[in-house]
Amino acid sequence: MRYAILLMGAPYSHQASHSALRFARALVARGHRLEAVFFYHDGVHNAARLAAPPQDEPHLVDAWADLSREHEVALQVCIAAALRRGLLDEREAARHGKDGISVAEPFELTGLGQLIDLGTRCDRLVTFGP
Amino acid sequence: MLLHVVNRSPANSRVYEQALSAMGPDDVLLLIEDGVQGALPQLVRYYAKIEGRLFALREDLEARGLLGRCAESVQVVDVDGFVTLTEEAERTVSWY
Amino acid sequence: MHEHDDPHRDLLVILRHAPHGSSWLKEGLDAALVAAAFGQSVSLLFMGEGVTALMPGQGPGPLEQKGTAATLAMLEMYDIETLLVDAETLSALGLSADELMLDVTPVPAAAISEALSAHRLVLTF
Repeated sequence: MRYAILLMGAPYSHQASHSALRFARALVARGHRLEAVFFYHDGVHNAARLAAPPQDEPHLVDAWADLSREHEVALQVCIAAALRRGLLDEREAARHGKDGISVAEPFELTGLGQLIDLGTRCDRLVTFGP
Repeated sequence: MLLHVVNRSPANSRVYEQALSAMGPDDVLLLIEDGVQGALPQLVRYYAKIEGRLFALREDLEARGLLGRCAESVQVVDVDGFVTLTEEAERTVSWY
Repeated sequence: MHEHDDPHRDLLVILRHAPHGSSWLKEGLDAALVAAAFGQSVSLLFMGEGVTALMPGQGPGPLEQKGTAATLAMLEMYDIETLLVDAETLSALGLSADELMLDVTPVPAAAISEALSAHRLVLTF
């Protein structure tokens, strides 16, 4: 089946990110296709390029990036929710005159329309809230 | 059949009421994260209405030292079981 | 005929948070508006605190934040006309449907699960 995940919890504040990642790994292990993880509300902080957790804790940003590379999972971040919270990619940083990039690769800033599209295209959409 | 997922404890939050009021007669409910407290014998009464259709996530029970303390009526599933539930259900609705 | 009995609707957005206190309501409404702009049939269900989104006479927040009342007033323009309100919450708050700022349909608990089944996608905010 084709799945999408909607994640709305901030990493290290709530278990939502860990739950979503564990669920994502389990579903690809069972042979399902995970099309994308969509990050909305405080979930956008999962894309924080500058996150620096202690070494004995899971690095959630890197874990999403690894999942994306290994299983071709798109990491789509709601642009409106991200900009408000200080998460900018190169293009948005330039557009807003900011001198840093705060969104990690391969996360991509995108519109809410992508979430609606995922809901239409995928067989299942599972939400993880804070 | 829809799968409802609750991540809050009924000891602390009334989110469980919202989930219950939205459940159809064939729907099932999975407790995850802090929600697994609802599987304890003293708290499972909040879910009396859906006896036999209540699941709790093994990994989250285990992490909290609650595995083995669940009410008998609760079906314990691991994360693979969680995925299976989402396969079987037409849709998954999360209450948080 | 109740529109929420139609099994072919696209999206149900469940709104469970009050205006001003958090961004949940705004972000939920944004998802509904975008789906409607994409041509999807969208319904809203107000539950719990979310019912207070419909209070008439709302003002700006402490720093002049816009709130969500203006967005709600635009729903009709987006053809979002199925507005359901959990009847139990309504009475728990001591409100009646005709006091609210929009024309809403109070639904008893039994009809809420029907509304969930009638939509291809359900998002909770």
